[in-house]
Amino acid sequence: MRRLLHEMNPCIKFLAVTVCILTLAFFFNPWTPLLFFAGVVLLQLLFSQTNWKLWSLAMLPFLIGAFGYFWTTLVFGEPGDGLVLWTIGKLDITTQQWELAWSLSLRVLAFSSISLLFAFTTDPVRFIQSLMQQWKLSPKLAFSVLISYQFLPVLKTEFEQLQQAHRIRGPGSSPSAFKRITALRRLLIPLLAGAVRKAERAAFAMEARAFTGEARTHYTEVKLTRKDFVLFSLFSLVLSVSGSAVFWA
Amino acid sequence: MLKGWKLKEIVLMSLFGVVFGIVYLLFLHIGNLWAGIIGPLAYEWMFGIWFIVSIISMYIIRKPGAALLPETLAAAIEVMLGNAIGPRLILSGIIQGLGAEAAFALTRYRHFHLAILMLAGAGAGIFSFVYGYFLSGYAALDPSFVALMFTLRVLSGAIIAGIGGKYIADSLLATGSLRGYAIAKAEKSDVRA
Repeated sequence: MRRLLHEMNPCIKFLAVTVCILTLAFFFNPWTPLLFFAGVVLLQLLFSQTNWKLWSLAMLPFLIGAFGYFWTTLVFGEPGDGLVLWTIGKLDITTQQWELAWSLSLRVLAFSSISLLFAFTTDPVRFIQSLMQQWKLSPKLAFSVLISYQFLPVLKTEFEQLQQAHRIRGPGSSPSAFKRITALRRLLIPLLAGAVRKAERAAFAMEARAFTGEARTHYTEVKLTRKDFVLFSLFSLVLSVSGSAVFWA
Repeated sequence: MLKGWKLKEIVLMSLFGVVFGIVYLLFLHIGNLWAGIIGPLAYEWMFGIWFIVSIISMYIIRKPGAALLPETLAAAIEVMLGNAIGPRLILSGIIQGLGAEAAFALTRYRHFHLAILMLAGAGAGIFSFVYGYFLSGYAALDPSFVALMFTLRVLSGAIIAGIGGKYIADSLLATGSLRGYAIAKAEKSDVRA
């Protein structure tokens, strides 16, 4: 039970997440996103092994973002013709604005909760395998992506080497964060040039091993099972229950 | 879409997707901190950063799909690295890529000078704004505020992605590592002409 979401077919999970997010965009009351958020967290609590400490950490930036949405909607939202709740300086805050602000900022949280569910329970390699097997993603592209993904640690080492090389030659690392970010510009071109050369070598190696797009069999098969459909309907259930808030709220 | 692509072009495109996925993610975190303080407007002027891989990749490879695919991939990498906005980022990646692709498709993939690249950046801005308008509920905001957001985003797309993308690709060309791709061939024929 605790591994169900991890074992779910990644393509179906992706579909479920996309459907939920597109549907939620139609709702402008605060209750729908709130209920949806609670439902998703409940699903994740029941059917996954999540590191909740890490989850809260990942949630934090979205919480800040939600706050940003909250106050901009209060200040810049259309006042509408609701009752004036209170006045700050020249600003009248109506009930309509108040509700909308809650709705938009809770929507950010609802979106991020389901996104984090996907990120925390999906293995990237398996996602690509599933895309290749269920949605007929071209193997040429899929294996190129997998190879590039495997390059990540190599690129990281290369980045550190470049940084050290620059430091030896003079422009040392600055204590100010802003300067360090602008200094990245100097590293980007050599890093990319190295990456281009690596891509070329990898492509030759792939051609030598016949990764050129012919039909392939798969060593690890990612299958569709009944569990996937049960989980998909669970997602739809959460969505429709939270959507029904329109009628009673 | 990938017919007529050489394998090395596909791998190069994927690698761009990966590298810029990381760059995007970095800026996403910076942008998020900003946005908490300033609100959604904080993102707008730097939005062009998130369109740049389309322009670079298309400018180098010059084949249909070279703008859409890497942008989608970069978004997918952001999701795979685990801490981004999640799968809906892939959706916005596709839409931004389509915006840039549309500009190149308009010229039938024949011209790749600065104006077209800037148009592609602006196109990505327009497409992503329409999508954002729907998804983030901008409809609820004051129209003049929305217009300001829109102008900032399109300008940022044209300047950061269009001019910046050309600058990066040109400096890459200068390193000599792009020999064998369409950009180097075009350069050669220009010299001959």
